[in-house]
Amino acid sequence: MSELGRLSLLLAFACSIFAVGSIAWGLRTGLSGPLRGGRRAVWTVCGLTVLAVIILERALLARDMSYRYVAEHTSKDLPLHYAFTSLWAGQEGSLLLWLLILSAYGSAFLFAYRKRLDPFYDAVAMVIACVMIFFTGLLSFVSSPFRILATPPPDGMGLNPLLQDPGMMIHPPILYTGYVGFVVPFAFAMAVLLLNRSGTRWIEEVRRWTLFCWGFLGVGVLLGARWAYIELGWGGYWGWDPVENASLMPWLVGTAFLHSVMIEQRRGMLKTWNITLIALTFLLSMFGTFLTRSGVLTSVHSFAESNIGPWFLGFILITATAATALILYRKALLESENRMEAVVSREGSFLFNNVLFVALTFATFLGTTFPVLSEAVTGTKISVSAPFFNRVNVPIALTLLLLTGAGPVLSWKRATASVLKRNFILPTFLGVVAVLVALPFGAAGIYTLVCIFGAAFVITTIVMEFARGIQARKSVETGPLPGQVVSLVQKNKRRYGGYIVHAGMVVLFLGVLGSSVFQKEAHGPLRNGETLKLGPYALTLRGVTDHQKQNASLTTAIVDVQRDGKFVATEHPSKAFYSKSQQPMTEVALHTTPMEDLYLILGGVNEDGSASIQAYINPLVSFVWVGGLIMVLGTLIAISDKMRLRREEKVAS
Amino acid sequence: MAAPLLAKGKDPAQEITSQLICPCSCGEVVSGCICETGMSMKATVENGIKAGKSKKEIIGALVSQYGEVIRGAPKPEGFNLIVWIAPFAATLLGFAIAWLFLRRLVRRRGERVTAAAHGEATPGEPVPFPRGRALEQDQDSLRARAEAELRQLKQGREA
Repeated sequence: MSELGRLSLLLAFACSIFAVGSIAWGLRTGLSGPLRGGRRAVWTVCGLTVLAVIILERALLARDMSYRYVAEHTSKDLPLHYAFTSLWAGQEGSLLLWLLILSAYGSAFLFAYRKRLDPFYDAVAMVIACVMIFFTGLLSFVSSPFRILATPPPDGMGLNPLLQDPGMMIHPPILYTGYVGFVVPFAFAMAVLLLNRSGTRWIEEVRRWTLFCWGFLGVGVLLGARWAYIELGWGGYWGWDPVENASLMPWLVGTAFLHSVMIEQRRGMLKTWNITLIALTFLLSMFGTFLTRSGVLTSVHSFAESNIGPWFLGFILITATAATALILYRKALLESENRMEAVVSREGSFLFNNVLFVALTFATFLGTTFPVLSEAVTGTKISVSAPFFNRVNVPIALTLLLLTGAGPVLSWKRATASVLKRNFILPTFLGVVAVLVALPFGAAGIYTLVCIFGAAFVITTIVMEFARGIQARKSVETGPLPGQVVSLVQKNKRRYGGYIVHAGMVVLFLGVLGSSVFQKEAHGPLRNGETLKLGPYALTLRGVTDHQKQNASLTTAIVDVQRDGKFVATEHPSKAFYSKSQQPMTEVALHTTPMEDLYLILGGVNEDGSASIQAYINPLVSFVWVGGLIMVLGTLIAISDKMRLRREEKVAS
Repeated sequence: MAAPLLAKGKDPAQEITSQLICPCSCGEVVSGCICETGMSMKATVENGIKAGKSKKEIIGALVSQYGEVIRGAPKPEGFNLIVWIAPFAATLLGFAIAWLFLRRLVRRRGERVTAAAHGEATPGEPVPFPRGRALEQDQDSLRARAEAELRQLKQGREA
């Protein structure tokens, strides 16, 4: 069976090369035969990849220890569902998942545009096939998941206990769906340059693809944060770990792209910039995969040290060079069609928004890679971690929050003084009120106050926009208010979907603010019956028990939780010892309420029988997740809007 | 620097431990770390505070024991200054470039708007917009009016 797997990947590699060559030939000669052949080859790559995945999954589920990959990432006592998801527990399997999603995107793209005869779409498929060559080649020659062990061990090494979590079953596929998806808008941009196409049509066509993968990437990032919160047990959800940063960076640049394409669409400007942004997004996705899988930077996520690092770096460099060369070569195509009218305008605010998103990305990139750089130059090992990123990224992010409020209320082209006055007085006033209300609750520090002001400002502008829209539609909509809101959103899904995403972002910011600034902590050894005080909570140890799970033994502390003297719950923070792993795992106990989480960790049981308990109050953490859900809702609304073409382009097509 | 900007009322030990990284393989911020090294560092910090040592002294002592690697953010000196200055310098530079770019694109009074360099994408003279009114608000009301009229038309036809 393993030979069949290896063969299917090798054939996929050959098909990818054929697809690129055949389409290139077809584009050059204008013959439709080679174009058709190339498209079919892309379909075939997808089929062959599915076959390879099925073969590997069969081995994983059967715990066929003759496969090195199976022996390294599973064990016989591993529950079946984790055996299934251990496909993406290691480097080779993750790359195979990458290829699976990539070829699925390739096929979905071909399916969506199957009726278009324009060779432009073949060029897009060709760019996607170029990326396929890299991954099928890597999987065939450098990092094969089908390596066979001469003497199969009696049992495998087991799955990393950190990955034995329901969140980890879905987090990687969702994150990869985001990462990989950026290949489609990237391929469109490259095809525009390759075929020298003018106009903004491609922007309209990639809009939904971009929103789709941007949304998935965002959900993936948040699921990762949720996983870190529940599984890593350090009281927080975002540690500015290199791999977390790697997933955030393409999301940030992708967000910049989603904003700046609006300028190109409306005004025909910033074309070079947009193509640069989408290329950067794709490259950062590749860089993210590289960081996760190469083990270059020490990180809790880099499970495998590996040999694929140089290949990835090479591919990233070649892609970057090719994209830059193409942009320079087609400079004339990318000239602006229009002039600006005023700096203070929607266009202006979008441009500054772009600067901030890119600056955040740059700071994150620099901080993530700096330890390697600094050690190479000075010879001293240093860390660049959460304390650094919080200091550097927080002010940039807060500026962005303020701009989120200002941007949408500036009109296109030119914002006059009267517009500014009308749109800014109320939000500013309510922002100040919010700050004044927050002060007695212990809000202090300039960042905290700016964040509260910004949140109130942005929410007010959004509500005002909705109110204005409803006012304008008074003549047609007279029903109850919720109905009016729904009908307003339906009439302009992009715009109001976008506002809902902004609102979600504000809620998320408040969650981050609450849980980082107002976190409270207490720790100590507790004997039976002793109580630890933390804010309004009193935590009393009722005992410690041991019991056995399928592939782990658990030590659990039983803790009674009282809030303001009233009993609320009995919590069970535990430590798990997995049979195949040396390191004990923390199993956090969470007591969640809408306004705060009580977060309990069992540090260990001491020789005198006392239990080390670490406890946190994390205020407003639920806002982070709820904010994320609101953003998803907004994205879904925005994505449901169909393609809109300018009239002249419709005529042309 | 950041702590007074961000918060008040965090306990002094947590303020210090949240700036440090555990030097063992776990690599976590010490305040949230429950491994042995982390717990012993927490104890060192708490004892240091009890003994009346300053934040600087406590961190200095730990750094001389474990190395620069335990600082969660590198000390801003020498080569490491780059990582502190570059992000803000880049942001300001970005703003400056964006500003200049916008200024260059802003049409001078009286100058005609010319179409794109290759002269095909947009027709010559742009349609003038009513100044000072947000375009999209107009779209909303226009669309609403169109809808209302369509509805009347439909009712008229049915009647």
